Amino acid sequence: MENKKKMQSLFKKFKMKDDASVLTQRSRNEKILFGVVFAVFFVYGISMLMPFIFLGLNSLKDLLEYAVDLQAGNVMALPDNIWKGLENYVYAFREMKVDGTYGNVIYLPEMIFNSLVYIGFSIFSSLTASSLVAYCLAKYRFKLHGFLYGIAIFSMTIPIVGTSGASLKLAYDLGTYNTLFYTILPSFGGFGGGFLVLYGYFRNIPWSYAEAVFIDGGGHGTVFFKIMLPQASPALLTLGIMSFIGGWNNYTTPLMYMPDYPTLASGLYKVEQSFTRDNANFPAYFAGLMLATIPVVVVFAAFSDVIMKNFSVGGLKG
Amino acid sequence: MENLLTQTTGRKRRWNASKRKEIIFLFCMLVLPVCQWLVYFVYLNANSFVLAFSQKRTGLFPVFDNFEKVWESLTTDKGELSISLINTLKYFFTDFLIIMPLCLFSAYFFYKKIAGYKVYRVLFYLPSIISSMVMVETFKSFVDPRGPLSGLLEMLFHYTIAPEGLFNHPDTATNTILIYCIWTGFGTKMLYFGGAMARIPLEVLESAKLEGCGPFRELFQLIFPLIWATTSTQIILLFTGLVSSGGPILLFTGGASQTSTLSYWIFSKLYSPGMGGVAGNYELVSCMGLCFTLVMVPLILFIRWLMDRFPAVEY
Repeated sequence: MENKKKMQSLFKKFKMKDDASVLTQRSRNEKILFGVVFAVFFVYGISMLMPFIFLGLNSLKDLLEYAVDLQAGNVMALPDNIWKGLENYVYAFREMKVDGTYGNVIYLPEMIFNSLVYIGFSIFSSLTASSLVAYCLAKYRFKLHGFLYGIAIFSMTIPIVGTSGASLKLAYDLGTYNTLFYTILPSFGGFGGGFLVLYGYFRNIPWSYAEAVFIDGGGHGTVFFKIMLPQASPALLTLGIMSFIGGWNNYTTPLMYMPDYPTLASGLYKVEQSFTRDNANFPAYFAGLMLATIPVVVVFAAFSDVIMKNFSVGGLKG
Repeated sequence: MENLLTQTTGRKRRWNASKRKEIIFLFCMLVLPVCQWLVYFVYLNANSFVLAFSQKRTGLFPVFDNFEKVWESLTTDKGELSISLINTLKYFFTDFLIIMPLCLFSAYFFYKKIAGYKVYRVLFYLPSIISSMVMVETFKSFVDPRGPLSGLLEMLFHYTIAPEGLFNHPDTATNTILIYCIWTGFGTKMLYFGGAMARIPLEVLESAKLEGCGPFRELFQLIFPLIWATTSTQIILLFTGLVSSGGPILLFTGGASQTSTLSYWIFSKLYSPGMGGVAGNYELVSCMGLCFTLVMVPLILFIRWLMDRFPAVEY
């Protein structure tokens, strides 16, 4: 204790941080190397902000102003009138639309609704199935244990290519093709990446908690729902956030499997595809893209610590 | 004696009851996911196999028409599949030889707490959370003949981008998308490497530093072997996803200018914007899938065997 205090006073005296070690001391050459890398990272980091700047600026221009700037090679020019530019957002929300197969029209609010339903079903299905399978395989020994674990590893490491055709045909046969409920069944896979993460989590939770519940007269269900599942909530949260981000940005699956229920991503893709020389309203389209980007950025900003922490703590352990 | 027998029987009955409850619990927990697996893995793959040998128009089985078509497309110069395969390999090797090493280096500098590393870590991860539609739109405007890149190239190298743009010419289209992939390719992989480095015992690196070990030796001779378990897993996963390697072809060119990849080829054979979303070439896609699976399985097993030849360091 006394030694620690002495060390702390020494650190204070030499203006060093508590966790300072030889690792934080850098030679002159190392300082140059780190300086160069810092400069490269800085430029690259700025380039990562460009999409926001590009979208933000151009979504606030009117059609003519954008066309003039584009022609002049000046897409990063500031908009003339920001308040007027905000009308693009109103237009995108009220007027931007996609034509359905049967002549129906789908507007942006409906696309947002479709996105939320699609993601909700997808997250619920995948997390439910993964946690059911991962818990059973992590905590119980039974006859099919080895076989089921083998399935999980086999499905993940053996590349089976080109099953999309059969998958589309299956969706037709099951009657889930072109419905909002399409994603429920395919997402209910308990042997994917989510399984591995949750399997590791459940394995690390001591079984003594369960024994205490059994002594108090509780059953296996009580142990799972009231003890184990809440303890795995950090892993569930991380998986849920990643699924949300992935699902929100996914445009190919909704395009292929539920064409009449476009999500925001697939809907905006269709909007851009429908542009002709006469009706291409790019500023409004950019406003739509901006509206689609905001939710994921908000979710990421709110949970970035959780994501980074879970990656750095629970990264792949070989 | 009778008492002991009653006790044993009672204990056995209790044990049986508890075991029965456990079995019922496990059955209830696993029945739906296993059924899902039987339908979406076993049935799906079996059906895909059958489709590969079926004729589209007549439904005849077994026929080898699809194999002939796939072979022809693969072996003909400028055939759809041969172009797609070459492009897919380009994307794969870009990922393997450029993006992965760059992720490793970035993770190393984050691990060494380069100034602003927390901000950079979030910024580098942004392409993984922002829709590729946004990233593609920005990139397209940057490389547009009237965009900032054109002015920059003209100023530095007196080089002008052709008026039709980089995406409308086979010589430049795929290479431009490859550059986009490098630009947006950091993210998850970098975080995995960072996670692995965070678990290295500091004492090892401290003693190396005291012995005068520089950053390059530290990275290649200490850190790299210590995170080999994660690196080898990443390599195996990369090879597992070889056939699906590619960029957002649909958003950039829609497969034009010889930019198609194998995964885009599959998509284009199934999706058609003008027919209610369905093009319906299930048989051809399944056949192509079967052919590539037959090539990929031994390759992956070989890669796994190769990775196991270099044992991971335990610490």
